[in-house]
Amino acid sequence: MTQRLKHIAPNVVAGVWLAMGLLTAQAVSAEEKTEATAQPESTLQSVSVSAPMVKGTLPVDDPNAAVWNSATLSRFPMSPQVHWPNRILEATVRDLNVRALHDGTNVAILLEYADPSEDPDDAAAIEFMVGDKKAHFAHGQPMAQVEGGPVNIWYWKNKDAKGVDMNAKGFGTLSVQQHQDVKAKGAYANGTWKVVFTRPLATGHLDEDAQITTGGFVNIAFAVWDGKKDASGELKEKGSQKAVSSWWYFRAEAPPDYSGYYYAALAVGLALGFQFILIRKLKKGQSA
Amino acid sequence: MGGSLLKPVILIGIVYAILKFIVPNIPGSAPLPSSLIFLYLMLTTSGIVIFATLSGESKDAFWGPIQRFLTGENIGGLQVLRYGVLLLFPLIVGWQTYNSTATSDAPPSENRTIHPAPPGEYTGLSNPVAKTPDSIQQGKGFYAAFCSPCHGGNFDGKGPAARGFNPPPANFSDPTTIAMLQESYLFWRIKKGGVGLPIEGMPWKSAMPRWEVELPDEWIWKIIMGEYDGAHQSPRTWE
Ligand code: HEC
Repeated sequence: MTQRLKHIAPNVVAGVWLAMGLLTAQAVSAEEKTEATAQPESTLQSVSVSAPMVKGTLPVDDPNAAVWNSATLSRFPMSPQVHWPNRILEATVRDLNVRALHDGTNVAILLEYADPSEDPDDAAAIEFMVGDKKAHFAHGQPMAQVEGGPVNIWYWKNKDAKGVDMNAKGFGTLSVQQHQDVKAKGAYANGTWKVVFTRPLATGHLDEDAQITTGGFVNIAFAVWDGKKDASGELKEKGSQKAVSSWWYFRAEAPPDYSGYYYAALAVGLALGFQFILIRKLKKGQSA
Repeated sequence: MGGSLLKPVILIGIVYAILKFIVPNIPGSAPLPSSLIFLYLMLTTSGIVIFATLSGESKDAFWGPIQRFLTGENIGGLQVLRYGVLLLFPLIVGWQTYNSTATSDAPPSENRTIHPAPPGEYTGLSNPVAKTPDSIQQGKGFYAAFCSPCHGGNFDGKGPAARGFNPPPANFSDPTTIAMLQESYLFWRIKKGGVGLPIEGMPWKSAMPRWEVELPDEWIWKIIMGEYDGAHQSPRTWE
């Protein structure tokens, strides 16, 4: 009896020890995965926009299409533009909701924000960096110690009812491109603007257009102008007087990839083989 | 014989308990991330293994029970546990592999250096403006006009225009901002702004304006005085 106990006790210990090690390893990897928890919209504060890939046509002309709901909602706070003159100390738009989709060829980005009145001069814009060089979010203004690149700005204004593809590299350098790749469509209802911007993910103009490759993160920033006029007929917000954000991230999601499952199956097979060989070796050693 | 395995297990248990429950309660420390605890446990374990396998005799006492457990010889009721472990191990390996190949949903991490070194010409400058109540008052006035929209009327970084900017405007009442810095460092940051930062400060993200294009040096020095006074902080003076 004591002989048996003598054998069992260390085995219990060994078993518990192994299991503990495995469980710790497990807990570590589980903890490091950040969980996306559902949040009420009013407190949602995103750091990125993620565009899932959809089959079928993108809702380029329809800000109200049901398919937009397949994209996760991102929400960004906006500041009145106080970073450079001419400043504005208060702007109409304080928060911007963003959703995006792509179909492998084109990307569509939906901006949604509260604006109490529809005005001809209401406008919105999306900004990206161009190429590998970093660009300052404020029109790609020069940086003292870092060589910056240009920004690509996609602009929409209610009364023009179209997308405009632009570049800037420093204040006062905003210019409309020769080749226009951006489309935009706005719809106003119930105090809310919904504006869809569309463009091919990739264009041939590497020096002027942001190129979006699936799976990778790029920088994105936003601007919105309330085109309302004050009592004297002056626009409340125009030019540099607008609501802005600084850089956040944007990603067009890669098509679903199942290779992870294959690698996992392979790893399970290898682990089983390893166990099998190890135990056989141990058994042989014991009987010898 | 069993004691040779019991001791290591107890030791590991104690190390774990210390790292998990005692270290976080030491004043001034914080809970350790689980990856760090795991690393320490692995180090402890490998230490024990090395120690236990130093001599032939202790080696047998150490590996013997493990060997018997794995081969399932004479372990009676432990067979169940043994099969559990043999099943769990490949599954965990598979799960880990799947996790490591899955693409991350998180955007690139921001390793922004908040206080990078200033250019040489901005070290060791002293404030040329005499520290009189008048100039402090003037500095506060300029602060209210130019800085408070972002950095806040209370110097807490929560101005009405702060919300859209990432990184957020600095909170001057926090002891890790201007209280850690010299006046000449502030002079550089205010004059050259976010775009004056070196690459590790990620200048392309900063909304801090480059005030040299709008404010004379003398105003900036006065603002620095008003800023420290208003935030109830004093500049770091030692080198
Ligand atoms: C447009 C918003 C904005 C305004 C206006 C602004 N700042 Fe800033 N400031 C920032 C942001 C954002 C940061 C943090 C990023 C950085 O360090 O560049 C910052 C950082 C700073 C820092 C560095 C603090 C540290 O711990 O490194 C100082 C000093 C500073 N600001 C002073 C001022 C002063 C003085 C004024 C007024 C003359 C001013 N700022 C106006 C946005 C602003």
